[in-house]
Amino acid sequence: MTSFKALSKNPFKSLLIFSSITIAVMAIFLISSVSQGVIGMYSKMINTDGDIIITQKGIADTFFSNVDINLLDKINEMEHVKSSYAMIVGASPVGHLPIAGIYGVSKNHLHHYTLVEGKYPKEGQVLLGKTISKQLRGRTVKIGNKRFRIAGAYKSDIGFEEGGVVMNISDAGKMFSRSASFILVSSDAPNNTDALVKKIKKLDEEIGVKTTQSFVQEYNQFKIIENSSLVISSLAFIMGLMGIASVMSMIVNSRKEEFGIMRALGKSRMFIIKNLFFETLIMSFSAYLFALGLSFLILELLPHIDSLQGYVNGSLSVSISLYVLLSTVFMALLGSLIPAWIASKTDPILLINQGCS
Amino acid sequence: MIKANNVSHFYGKEQVLYELNFEINKGEFVFLRGESGSGKSTLLSALSTLLKPSSGEISLEGIKVQEIKNIDSFRQIKIGFVFQFHYLINYLTVFENIELAAVKDKQRNIKPLLEELGILDLCTRYPNEISGGQRQRVAVARALINDPAVIFADEPTGSLDSVNSKIVYELLSKAMKKGTTVVVASHDEHVAEYATQTIKMRDGKIQ
Repeated sequence: MTSFKALSKNPFKSLLIFSSITIAVMAIFLISSVSQGVIGMYSKMINTDGDIIITQKGIADTFFSNVDINLLDKINEMEHVKSSYAMIVGASPVGHLPIAGIYGVSKNHLHHYTLVEGKYPKEGQVLLGKTISKQLRGRTVKIGNKRFRIAGAYKSDIGFEEGGVVMNISDAGKMFSRSASFILVSSDAPNNTDALVKKIKKLDEEIGVKTTQSFVQEYNQFKIIENSSLVISSLAFIMGLMGIASVMSMIVNSRKEEFGIMRALGKSRMFIIKNLFFETLIMSFSAYLFALGLSFLILELLPHIDSLQGYVNGSLSVSISLYVLLSTVFMALLGSLIPAWIASKTDPILLINQGCS
Repeated sequence: MIKANNVSHFYGKEQVLYELNFEINKGEFVFLRGESGSGKSTLLSALSTLLKPSSGEISLEGIKVQEIKNIDSFRQIKIGFVFQFHYLINYLTVFENIELAAVKDKQRNIKPLLEELGILDLCTRYPNEISGGQRQRVAVARALINDPAVIFADEPTGSLDSVNSKIVYELLSKAMKKGTTVVVASHDEHVAEYATQTIKMRDGKIQ
């Protein structure tokens, strides 16, 4: 109760702490959610479409991978192979958009995309993702140096796909000068994929074969995204920490008399530290809830911003919420530690010295 | 009750108290008088455990201050303070200010004490909603709440008019009559009317 009253009696300074925590927490929320969203979208693209992924050996990114598409026939003949398809992933200017994802897919995979308009593309035609179809009007669209006829539009629950363009793999192959970026294989014995991985490896020395699960876990781009997210989150954390520490120092300085009174009344140093910790925790928890609400709102809005083409996406998972909650509590306690320590050291003699005649 | 044995104190190289020796008996009303800079506030701080003297010993109720293990708890139970400025916490009500000082088993005495001091009606008010005289009466109530063995008052009427000053001295005198030792450091010669013992300070020495 005392802590609530202390906070309400210093509304401006309380608001400053509240704001710095809110901004820091929201930054951590959004950075973590968006990075996890990006990873999640790409993982889902790969995971939902197959149990095994085949890429060029020693390639860090699927964008640079080139796999012989003719492997499909050999793979399809193998035992326990349910289906397989090849895909090219690339990026190119599309119409007036500076960049969009291009997905060249083999015919059997076109049905993966749900048509909302038109029909599946033949050679020289493309399907536009629902998100960018709103921005590209006309019957044709220029992709790279070539003009394609727009056959229709599709929807997908993966933002990367919905913000991109789907075309036949032969067209994509010509555009990006490759046979296929990767091949995805579905098995009818998903518990025995390791044996299938070994068999596929024997087909070509130049290929890297992994289960999609281990591919996602080891994918360098995801590690880069996760590390970048961690660095930016850490910076946000430090900024929040500095904000709390500096405003708490101001608060402690302006309330020196109060702490002197407490010390003179026989209150222990721990009592003052606990009170200040509790005040910061109240503000941090309120700021956390506020930031959670704002982040939720922003993440809901992001997919609807046309200029982002659906690529910036994220969702608040329980694990992210808990991670941010723990970070917030830690930030609050760490940020108020030194000011609280200084406050607890207030010498009550100042009360006599101030009145000293 | 209070015993000072060769108490000296230095602020840096400057000596402000010179080997003071005196005793104050239980239930006395002591007037600690002296000019500005005479050392009375420093002595009051030392006697009240707020300041550790550079040398010498101070005993309260037969216990050497230097040997007290939990000085915070000792101060809360045994000592009451009244300062020149009331030093009430401005975001707490009158009741809460006294509650903050009260040990657990004394909390039920807050309202009877406020009634006794004639300020029960101020219970829910904040310090900035009451007059200077009322604030100082609340400060006295806060000093009395734990039935301390000794009350130290530093210029308790320094910011009050004569009417309110009289009220404060009478409250302290009443506490003295109930057995509490009262030590008042002040310029105000009117304290002498209530004092049972006077210690006159000059240049850090007792005259």
